[in-house]
Amino acid sequence: MTLSYVLLQNLRRNPLRTALTAVAFALPMAVFVLALSLVVGFVRTSAALEQELRLGVHHRVSLTLLLPDGHRRKIEELDPQRTRLRAVCGMRWFGGRVPGTQQTLQSLAADVDTLPIVYNDIGLTEAEIAEWQRERRAAIAAGGVARQFGWRVGDRVVLQSTIPPYRQLEFRLIRIWEESPFPLTFYFRRDYLVESLERDGLTGTGCNIFWVKCVDAAALRALQTEIDALFANTPDETRSEDENAFVAGFVEAVGDLPSLAQAMATVVVIIVALVAGNTMMMSFRERIRELAVFKALGFSAGRVFLIVLSESVLLALFGSALGIVPVVAGLTLTPPERLSWGAFSPPELSWLAVVGSLSIGLGVGIAAGLWPAWQAWQLRTTEALRRVA
Amino acid sequence: MSAADIELVDLHKHYRKGRIDIPALDGLSLTIDAGSFVAIMGPSGSGKSTLLHLIGGLDSADRGVIRVGEHRLDQMSERELTAWRSRHVGFIFQMYHLVPVLTAAQNVELPLLLFRMPARERRRRVATALEVVGLADRMDHRPNQLSGGQEQRVAIARAIVTDPDVILADEPTGDLDARTSQEILQLLSLLNAEFGKTIVMVTHDPRAAAFGQRILHLDKGVLDRDELNPARPTAAAHAH
Amino acid sequence: MALPLIYHWRNVFVRPTTTALTILVVAAVVGLLGWILGFAVALRSALAVASDTRKIIVIRRGSTSEGTSALPPAEFNKLSQLTGLDRDPRTGQPLISPEMTVQVALPRKRDGGRTTANVAVRGVDPERALAVHRNVRLLGPLFATGTQEIIVGVKAAEQFAGLQPGDVVNLGFGEDRGYKVVGFFTADGGPLESEIWGYLPSLMNAYGRNAYSSAALRVAPDADPQDVIRQIEGPAIQLTARTEAAYWNDQLRLVRGYLAIVTALVLVMSVAAVCSIANAMFSSVAGRTREIAMLRTIGFGRGRILMGFVLEAVLLALLGGVLGCGLCLAWLQFVGRTKDMLGATSFTTLAFEIRLTPPIAAAALGAVVLFGALGACAPAWRASRVQAVSVLREG
Repeated sequence: MTLSYVLLQNLRRNPLRTALTAVAFALPMAVFVLALSLVVGFVRTSAALEQELRLGVHHRVSLTLLLPDGHRRKIEELDPQRTRLRAVCGMRWFGGRVPGTQQTLQSLAADVDTLPIVYNDIGLTEAEIAEWQRERRAAIAAGGVARQFGWRVGDRVVLQSTIPPYRQLEFRLIRIWEESPFPLTFYFRRDYLVESLERDGLTGTGCNIFWVKCVDAAALRALQTEIDALFANTPDETRSEDENAFVAGFVEAVGDLPSLAQAMATVVVIIVALVAGNTMMMSFRERIRELAVFKALGFSAGRVFLIVLSESVLLALFGSALGIVPVVAGLTLTPPERLSWGAFSPPELSWLAVVGSLSIGLGVGIAAGLWPAWQAWQLRTTEALRRVA
Repeated sequence: MSAADIELVDLHKHYRKGRIDIPALDGLSLTIDAGSFVAIMGPSGSGKSTLLHLIGGLDSADRGVIRVGEHRLDQMSERELTAWRSRHVGFIFQMYHLVPVLTAAQNVELPLLLFRMPARERRRRVATALEVVGLADRMDHRPNQLSGGQEQRVAIARAIVTDPDVILADEPTGDLDARTSQEILQLLSLLNAEFGKTIVMVTHDPRAAAFGQRILHLDKGVLDRDELNPARPTAAAHAH
Repeated sequence: MALPLIYHWRNVFVRPTTTALTILVVAAVVGLLGWILGFAVALRSALAVASDTRKIIVIRRGSTSEGTSALPPAEFNKLSQLTGLDRDPRTGQPLISPEMTVQVALPRKRDGGRTTANVAVRGVDPERALAVHRNVRLLGPLFATGTQEIIVGVKAAEQFAGLQPGDVVNLGFGEDRGYKVVGFFTADGGPLESEIWGYLPSLMNAYGRNAYSSAALRVAPDADPQDVIRQIEGPAIQLTARTEAAYWNDQLRLVRGYLAIVTALVLVMSVAAVCSIANAMFSSVAGRTREIAMLRTIGFGRGRILMGFVLEAVLLALLGGVLGCGLCLAWLQFVGRTKDMLGATSFTTLAFEIRLTPPIAAAALGAVVLFGALGACAPAWRASRVQAVSVLREG
């Protein structure tokens, strides 16, 4: 008879309690790994965006107000040597929808010359850049939205704007951006939009936001203050924020799922710890006499300590796995588009989250088992045999 | 105060333990007069506890007649037996079986909760019962504050508080030392002599059995010996 | 009569540690549940208030929200052809309010201004607007016409910084863009309370607009709103019209989605709570089999025994529930009870205030009683199966 046999027997002695504890453990763990995946995904996006060193400059009053095109030149003039900023790309919100659908895409008209530089994370090849500059109706779509509509490079796409003056424009996809952090991104050329508006006698110029690609973090901070100071007290005064801060504002307003996820994760850990602790205590109480017998037979205190602790850890790991596996399966098998919330990245399976969850489970198992294990270690055989449990 | 005759005719009862059939009672017939104190002895497995359970309506026989007073237990359903039991029988066990979270008085009150009775009436009965067993001053103590003997007295008070016809005791002194056992047995005798309660007591201790007016010996599910105890004459001069 | 309540109550505390841990698990789940219910109620009441079926919102054809709609005066004037509109008793004019909706970015109070939210700014003609939007009540003065003054909805003032009396908010283009806050208004807790209102011509000027965003109109008491909508969407006028109820219902789609996710999560965790209770009860039953058998010998029936354990589980759960409600209240008090979320198609946020009212607490406790009862099912059943005889057999 080995130690592991004893261990398994103990868990089998009261299968109902084992099952209940496992379920009471598994469900919160499932929530935990999901929440953690969301948070990890979010943190990863934030880190990636931070690397890109982009500064967003928009109207102080509201993102919906247009800034004049001239702002770009003025910003560029702040650093003629290009030691602090690489390029400035003006963008105008189009708010396009595929006709017949409800979802508004994150569609923006961008300056043709600087988009490839400011958004070099798209990874446009030389050929694609040439295509972007040659083809007036060129467009770049994120992987998520492309999959949703079955678009492929070279396809003709029509979008209907939902904002005045409600243009409907036709585009040709020159690139699908798989690694886009946001699944609904759609970029096209601003000169195409301007031209289309001016043909009907409307003013086409003006940008909702200018993205400034900076050289390093220090430059970004410095430019942030300088740009706002430059336009302060003018009718077109600006507010500059780095990309993460910009995104944070939206995230907050779509329910702020990441911070909700964090709150849930904390609550889950607490619940799980309580459940585990409770079970271990109940289990130990019933087995005082039996453990005393073990000791009387010659099992050392250390051995008995390990038996109790291992049981707790085993139960905790079992419960964690029970909760984690279905979530892993679900996240792997569901196409990400069905999971996105608002225009943000859907929770994707993060092995970091899985490992993290298992570690928490392990930690809880150890913590919950320590006190009973310690009591078992200390158990005075004669006393215990006399006691009625 | 009431008492009842007990009559058992050709009682059969067996148990299954896994795949083995164990005959506990094998055609037992017996009459017990009202108001008598009977001790039942026998080796382990002789069926004496089973007999007690059948008289008390805790279990049903496979075959045979069980009559207590005017009631035919063998013709009652489980629900009827439960109801009958609550009125007509008081049990005393070896392990007292008091509820640890209730006081002595509350423990004694438990059986009365099954009847429609104003609280005042219940309290009166509880007080009386505890006085009879000599524990009036310990009413508000919890079982863990009482000695073994005192706990058993509380159990006896609980058994008599409903004024049952029959008191059934299963090894009442099994867990007590000699002196305390004496006290308990004397109490039982008192209940029988002064209050006319029919008492059927199962015991393996001959000294305890000596308190009975009649001693029955069971072996292998049948009545082996049936002797009157000369040291304790019956209240009514009935020999059987 | 049943077993005394004091018996059940004391049994709950026989194992203090187990009881404490189980109570904490239930409390954690109930705390979350209370928050969700509070949010759901806030959402429902916002919708209920904003479901005036006699008020119709008119926007450009094919537009999805007031903020992105443009309604030129020529189009707007067609609305006076409509039949079935309520009329101003004094002037006899149909109650139609032209409105312009824009947004202003304001810092959120609750995170110290770290993030900003888009707050709706509505330019209105006060007389017509107040006649159409019946539930708007002024708290303090109205903005004077022809001046750069604004009034603020109470929810907006609570949740966003810089909206106190005397504060100046910059709106629009042009040189002189400061608008001073002079008063507040309520709107029965509905969506309009998350807005800032100003004088229509002034704001149109500030934003360089010559078209309205939308119109709000009131249907006469004896007319059919659907009929008015049909007229508006028909060939003569060709604009999009929705009742206020339908409009806001649509806007709150995202919020409902969020709530659904959170509810699902809490339900999952409720199962954990039920399992914990079941666990504790099983342990209790296992430790009391002889006691149960004794009660059976006295004459307590199976049903009574079963109900007794269900009662104990419910008591246990209630203790957790009360603690959970307390935790939720403390959270709302000290961490914050406000939440704002974007409309589904509008670019502005709607503010909600979450309160743990007595009915909500009662509902949470009701759920808790359910947890207790569910958790007790199996253990109580097992307790009722304990046979008087088998456990007492000593020999």
